[in-house]
Amino acid sequence: MPTLALELPAVDVEAKFHRLADAWREETAHLSSMTEIILNPNYQRIIGMGPQVLPILLRELRDNPDHWFWALEAITGTNPTNPEDAGNLQKMRQSWLNFARKAGYVV
Amino acid sequence: MASLESIFKRLNERNHTLTSPRTPEYNCIAFAAGETHRWWWPIGAYWPDNLPRLESVDGFVLAFETLGYVVCESGNLESGFEKIAIYEKSGKPTHMARQLSSGKWVSKCGNLEDIEHETLELLDEYGSVVRFLRRPS
Repeated sequence: MPTLALELPAVDVEAKFHRLADAWREETAHLSSMTEIILNPNYQRIIGMGPQVLPILLRELRDNPDHWFWALEAITGTNPTNPEDAGNLQKMRQSWLNFARKAGYVV
Repeated sequence: MASLESIFKRLNERNHTLTSPRTPEYNCIAFAAGETHRWWWPIGAYWPDNLPRLESVDGFVLAFETLGYVVCESGNLESGFEKIAIYEKSGKPTHMARQLSSGKWVSKCGNLEDIEHETLELLDEYGSVVRFLRRPS
């Protein structure tokens, strides 16, 4: 039985991520609603890329901090941030980067 | 990334002023609450403790009551009070603006800049203002 090819070559994963991330930023830049921001179809497609996008997502969080936390939690099934840091982008970013380094990601 | 004037069609160089650089670190709700270090929203961000995380105008009123605000009739400038306005679109809150002592308003627009704007209607892509709140200044 033929199977669907879900894994993209790394270069294609990178290009697809940046295309979706650019569109997400463009469409949600003026929004305050976190619900609308994370339900944007481009953001949801990034989540749908699964674990293969994690290294790129973590580098993006390191270099261009933005609200990637919902996607990271959806993909990894974990949340290393402190509840009292909710909404604090810099503190949440640092918690995720610390977690990623301990998990063996190069970030 | 999109510019404010490309999104908010009524804005032009004569009716608003940029008052900060762009940043994803806080949003209009935080800015209305006087904070610039975290994003406020009942889902997926900071929200005051012990409140229901209601994505509704009434839920936002409850949140700002914790800061001493009460619902009032209008956005008219009143001596001795600071006011905020809540916008709603399709039944959901979308934006908040804070009044200055001059009678003008200030807003943080999502990830974009803070602006000082002449009227609330200039940001009507956010919908309509459906509630005003005030507290002693």
